[in-house]
Amino acid sequence: MRIGMVMLIFKKDWREIRRNWQILLPMVAIPFLISVLLPTLVIVIPGLSHASTYPLENSTAMIRSLPGHVREELAGMTPWQVLIYVMSLYFFAPFFLIIPIMASSVIASDSFAGEKERKTIEALLATPISDSELLLGKALVSFVPAMIVTLASFAIYSIVIDLFSFPIFQGRLLFPNLAWTILILGVAPTVALTGIGLTIMISTKAKGFREAQQISGILLLPVLMMIFGQISGVIVFGPIMLGALAAIFALVDLVVFYVGVKLFRRERILSRLP
Amino acid sequence: MPSIELNQLTKRFGAITAVNQLTISVEEGEIFGLLGPNGAGKTTTLRILACLISPSEGSAKVGGYEITHEPQKVREIVGILTENPSLYERLTAYENLDFFAEAYGLSDDQKRRDTIKELLESFQLWEQRNSKVATFSKGMKQRLAIARTLVHNPPILFLDEPTTGLDPESAKEIRELVTRLGRRERHTILLCTHRLEDAAKLCSRVTIINKGRSVAIGTPEELQGKIAGKPTLKISLREITSSIVQAVKEIKEVREIRSNNSEGTLTIAVDDLNASTPEVVRRIVHAGGMILSVSEIKPSLEEAYLKLVKEKTP
Repeated sequence: MRIGMVMLIFKKDWREIRRNWQILLPMVAIPFLISVLLPTLVIVIPGLSHASTYPLENSTAMIRSLPGHVREELAGMTPWQVLIYVMSLYFFAPFFLIIPIMASSVIASDSFAGEKERKTIEALLATPISDSELLLGKALVSFVPAMIVTLASFAIYSIVIDLFSFPIFQGRLLFPNLAWTILILGVAPTVALTGIGLTIMISTKAKGFREAQQISGILLLPVLMMIFGQISGVIVFGPIMLGALAAIFALVDLVVFYVGVKLFRRERILSRLP
Repeated sequence: MPSIELNQLTKRFGAITAVNQLTISVEEGEIFGLLGPNGAGKTTTLRILACLISPSEGSAKVGGYEITHEPQKVREIVGILTENPSLYERLTAYENLDFFAEAYGLSDDQKRRDTIKELLESFQLWEQRNSKVATFSKGMKQRLAIARTLVHNPPILFLDEPTTGLDPESAKEIRELVTRLGRRERHTILLCTHRLEDAAKLCSRVTIINKGRSVAIGTPEELQGKIAGKPTLKISLREITSSIVQAVKEIKEVREIRSNNSEGTLTIAVDDLNASTPEVVRRIVHAGGMILSVSEIKPSLEEAYLKLVKEKTP
């Protein structure tokens, strides 16, 4: 495999994406919603207006089901501090897996389906760029912006929460911590790669960008299940669990890309031109 | 050695046979036309030869490389103009060529810049090099797409309907370009077209394809003569009378006569035009006809094409 060719696909696609607001807008809007708007609405605004009387009952199921070591962390905290601590460190964690999946799925859906739609696929497939170079280039151009957006969202979220919680926790910073570092640097990239691999496979089969994006929406289901699991207290994202998740998804990534290259057929892509 | 060789090439899509046992040999530097109506199998043939799809049966060699065994080599030596210009509309003209030049292996930055500049200048697009392709007219896009096929200076070009959808002026420009590439720069060109004008003006040889099968092959002139028949004699008269028609019919060499009274013309088919024309003229004058003009009508490639396509269509 020639890395130069992979980078060539990356550069070409990135140039196109930069000039396409239909792709850029959802990539920026959803992370903004999750990293700024949602915590502001759920934690900051209620906290600023009713700091002392904020109902703790809503989150008690989740708090009660937290593992012992987490409950130890909460010892000595006021109910208000417990709420902020649990909400910001545990409740929002799975939402940050939505960001890399959604951000990458927009580009990955466009990877081949968009080329078909814009009728550029035939000239691209006629070049001597190999199947694996083509796939990796397309995956890279989905992965890099998605991770930039994820890291930026994490940085913004950390700043928002730290600014808000700093006086409440008497000068203690909640972010970054070990679990979130593993989440953002270990789980998010591996989950994103799985999503990208599967979405690219869908994109080769779909006739257009919208069709590919609609089908790839299914990939969000496991993450949504994690969110409900976390809210109901069934799953708690601790460092060990997150480390295990990262390892599992890394293996899944290898399988997905191996299968992806094996299933990639120029002829099948051309046979499904719109 | 032929540049392109097809041997019993066949492609089936389920029950449909898009290309049926096509055997063609194209010599180096030749402009060879695949002429046929829409859906005849021309684009499928081109896609097989460009290693975009695989044949169901038969074999083909492009530039000496077997398409199924060495597709990567074939892709390197071929430039393909697809039915659509296949250009990235959000990129500029320069960025498009730059991407394809590198994709085809032009890794030297300076050489790539020089090649792109030369091509854009030669295709009168240098001034628009930094404009997005989305702002280009159809003719400009087509010129840029042809420039793209040449960016790695391939010895073999596959051109699929290069003048379709263009206005007459742009189509003429593209035809001149193709002629220059084939005749002066000695590229071997396989040209798919359903436009007889393109085939007649550009190609040294043509095969007429219908329902995936080659139904005739030869130079445009050979096809005109062999399939559409021999030249005919067209005589314009001030007035056509039954005695004039009868006088011409009586000539032994006349095989057929058609009169058009409103136009005042007689179209006469004879075995040997040179030998029979003086006698035909003499008889008309003798019958009281006032001749305004005498001309030879050569059968067109269009007639040959239509005749073949009609004959072979059940």
